[in-house]
Amino acid sequence: MAGRSSATSLEEQGAEQGGRAVTTPLPEAAPSPGPQPRRGPRRRATTVGRAVGYVVLAVAAAAVLLPFFWMVTSSLKENNQVFTVPIQWVPETFRWQNYVEIFQRSDLLTWVKNTLLLSVAVTTLQVLTGSFAAYGFSRVRFPGRDALFLLYVATIAVPWQAYMIPQFIMLSDVGLSDTLWAIIALQTFSAFGVFLMKQFYDTIPEELSEAARIDGMSEYGIWRKIMLPLSVPAIATLVLLTFVNTWNDYLGPLIYLRSPDLWTIQLGLKTFVSQYNADYALIMTGSVLSVLPIAVIFMLGQRYFVEGIATSGMKG
Amino acid sequence: MTTETATRGRRRGRVALRRSVTGWSFILPNFLGFGLLTLVPVVALFYIAFTSWNAFGTAPFVGLDNFRRLVGDGSFHVALLNTLYYSALHIPLTLGLALGLAVLLNTKLRGVAFFRTAAFFPYITSIVAIAAVWNMLYSPEVGPINQVLTSIGVDDPPGWTTSAQWSMPAVIVVGVWREMGYYMILFLAGLQTIPRELYEAARVDGASAWQRFRNVTLPGLRPTTFFVVVILTIGSLKVFDLILVLTDGGPGRSTLVLSQYIFQKGFEEYQFGYASAISIVLFLLCVLVTVVQFVINRRRDA
Amino acid sequence: MKRSTTIAVGVVTAAALALAGCGGGDDAAAPADGPVTLTLAGWSLSTTPEFQTLADAYHEVDPDVTIEVQEYDATNYDTQMTTDLAAGTAPDLYVQKNLKNFYTYQSGAQLADLSEVASTYDDSTAGLDFYAVDDGTYAIPYRQDAWYVYYNKDLFAQAGVPEPTGEWTWDDYAQTALDLQAGLDAAGSDAHGAYQHTWQSTVQGFALAQTPGADLASGDYSYMEPYYERSLRLQDEGAQVGFGTATTSSLTYQTEFGTQQAAMMPMGSWYVATLLAQQESGEADEFSWGIAPAPQYDDSTFDAPVTFADPTGIGLNPAVDDAKRAAAEDFLAFVGGEEAALALAEIGITPAYTSDAVTEAFFGLEGVPTDDLSRFTFAESEARPENPVSVSTTVVQNILGEAHTEIMSESSPVDPVLEEAGSRVESEAPTS
Repeated sequence: MAGRSSATSLEEQGAEQGGRAVTTPLPEAAPSPGPQPRRGPRRRATTVGRAVGYVVLAVAAAAVLLPFFWMVTSSLKENNQVFTVPIQWVPETFRWQNYVEIFQRSDLLTWVKNTLLLSVAVTTLQVLTGSFAAYGFSRVRFPGRDALFLLYVATIAVPWQAYMIPQFIMLSDVGLSDTLWAIIALQTFSAFGVFLMKQFYDTIPEELSEAARIDGMSEYGIWRKIMLPLSVPAIATLVLLTFVNTWNDYLGPLIYLRSPDLWTIQLGLKTFVSQYNADYALIMTGSVLSVLPIAVIFMLGQRYFVEGIATSGMKG
Repeated sequence: MTTETATRGRRRGRVALRRSVTGWSFILPNFLGFGLLTLVPVVALFYIAFTSWNAFGTAPFVGLDNFRRLVGDGSFHVALLNTLYYSALHIPLTLGLALGLAVLLNTKLRGVAFFRTAAFFPYITSIVAIAAVWNMLYSPEVGPINQVLTSIGVDDPPGWTTSAQWSMPAVIVVGVWREMGYYMILFLAGLQTIPRELYEAARVDGASAWQRFRNVTLPGLRPTTFFVVVILTIGSLKVFDLILVLTDGGPGRSTLVLSQYIFQKGFEEYQFGYASAISIVLFLLCVLVTVVQFVINRRRDA
Repeated sequence: MKRSTTIAVGVVTAAALALAGCGGGDDAAAPADGPVTLTLAGWSLSTTPEFQTLADAYHEVDPDVTIEVQEYDATNYDTQMTTDLAAGTAPDLYVQKNLKNFYTYQSGAQLADLSEVASTYDDSTAGLDFYAVDDGTYAIPYRQDAWYVYYNKDLFAQAGVPEPTGEWTWDDYAQTALDLQAGLDAAGSDAHGAYQHTWQSTVQGFALAQTPGADLASGDYSYMEPYYERSLRLQDEGAQVGFGTATTSSLTYQTEFGTQQAAMMPMGSWYVATLLAQQESGEADEFSWGIAPAPQYDDSTFDAPVTFADPTGIGLNPAVDDAKRAAAEDFLAFVGGEEAALALAEIGITPAYTSDAVTEAFFGLEGVPTDDLSRFTFAESEARPENPVSVSTTVVQNILGEAHTEIMSESSPVDPVLEEAGSRVESEAPTS
């Protein structure tokens, strides 16, 4: 019964939220607020405003986390209790053994190992080659540069489903199919990273590089000693997004990885689906376990978005 | 500025060459992989679009047949219109919300790390779970959304994902909800590049919060916004997996989008030639929008 | 050979495509005797034991041959297989999940002709004909499912409704569903009279198999109308969960029938093994159930009830070398026969080969309902293909799938939707 009532409140929040978050925050929140030590009433208003802000944020967070909440509770259900009418937000009995069973019934550790390996390798290479190429696009003027850049961006627009067979044939011919290298090769050189880094380099004042050039620093030196340190928020973003996308990629591993010892989490979890049946409870268990590492990385990484290592410090 | 350009002009030839070498040396490590692994198959795709390839064996050249067929293909028209419908709403809504969230969460408030993580959660939550929960919320008879609507006096609440008329708005809401955190991250990173002094200066000048947002934040974010808009536009025009799990294009063809149609024609019906032709249309659509954005962006920069 | 047609624009493009055509024909022929290892593609091996069962059973017959089962994704099996075949990295033998994709593999020259193997089988092996194209046979069926009506004897008793007689038309079925609903409501149960899963086959499969003169390729789908009207009536009168609720709640038929949310349900024969396993594990409730023949179009077919389901067969990759080919053909001469059928029946699979011994083996399973009607249903149901092999089948089924969601969600009335589907088939479906 307790489960039922808490569920109702969550549902209602979920229903109302969609539209609300759009309108509230924008105008007043524009500048980074920071405490404003002025007169008394003003400070009290800020406190009240802040309290209201927290409430709004908490409600919004609940709405946003609702499916995750359902995912967690479903991971503690019997399989036949996952999809029911009416919705069961909290199971009557918690089936903790799902979390034991998933390790017994599958090679979860192998999947995690592969996924981690791929995510780390792809992220590292993507950031390195992407930011390096971005410097070329952002800071070195040469003929054909813009056309080449447009070509990079344009390929993002080609749906992968349409060219994955020719690509697969190519990689098979050089013996890369059914190896982790295939995924690393595919994901590393995406145009996304180049584009993202170039946009951020564009915001760094040219004078900084000019000054360094006068001091006799080479372009490579400028990239390493000036641009990289200044683009920490951008790199953090790219690391995070690349990591998440590689971690959650399904179609790539589906096409390229056949041997069970190469499977990633997303691929492995699909073994709980057979032709006419699916073990949704274990799928949700696996999904929860799969999200946790990303959540941790995000929690740790997000501080790079406030440290403000950006241009302002260098200007003075 | 003018004198600088003049000096540059004199040494143009030699400098251009040296710059080309330097530029390419930066780009090459990435370009090798990109050219080989992406560009080559994409070129292959452009060829396949002029054949009737079925994934096996030969690819008979059929000239413009596939493109002629597109003109009279009703399902293609439906998919194209649905894709534009989705993008027309999904892009501005996601953009607004992502920017709003980023600005709101770009503070040192206590607990902001939690809220940022929460905002990003829809993007990392299993898409199966997202589809399951949203579909339950939308359920016409037993779903909470319609229960609320009925209780506040709406007599005939929409059928959401089970109605041909409302399925697209329903999908758009989920799309916005899922991706706003993703683009928020990009905006957050962009906000860090805006020098703090600019805000202080504006405050000294007595600018209101809204004025500071209009005159400092927005211009400062322009490179990020350009990036977000381009990626978001392409992403919206290519929307695929979300629709697949939420409605599978239905009811009827009411949420059938181009990417899904491409997959259907290719991997279900083995008409890879035709699927490639549709991909080219989708590609050209994206490129057109992107080039327009490039031009606008450049005009503003100048 | 095939090169001349492919070389055209761009060196690499041509190379890639030519390789697609010529790839796969690898190794030189190995000596014919000695141990041979063949690879066989299957899916979800941990929950789908039939592939390994066949491999093990054959290994006992011929210890020289080892069949190595390779695991593919259940939902994207054909996507993976297509890429593998295109690149020449596919296994020696691969399962034909349904007849829809069989056509593509066959017409794309990705299946070897098995006429000689097929000639070793007689009428006891159902479904061979479905794999016959022109003068060849391109896969050997080992499994033939069929749709039945599963019913919950306890709920029938609770509702006070007589159990199926084995002589039901669809009108009888619909009336029973309504009676059940009334009886269950009166008894204070919140179960439904029937459950109809959201798949298009639950309506269209029966309509196509049973209606005299129905033709999937014809573009005339008015034969589906009575079937849809009945389904809509049952959902409107609350005798089964509405389509909208079933899709939005992602209902699974295992939960609906297994946890007694519905008193009866049309479903394929594969569910027998699942239900047994789930009752064993406690995932499904303990209750007494049986299977009845699919309701019929009219009373003329009560003796041999007509139902539907595609066969599941195994095809041979034409790229295998001669030594492997001989071993593979021997294996294929085994999978559709009685020995394989017995092994399959013992794990609850409905084999393509039927005989009294196979029926005995199937009903020897712990927990299978052994009443006469269930036996009759298993032994006498005549399954017609859901996807008759034709160039247009996949396209037609996609169009009809969209029509199904449009009708069942009651977005539009039945007639115009079926008519539109017909005209779309005429303009969109390939004819050759």
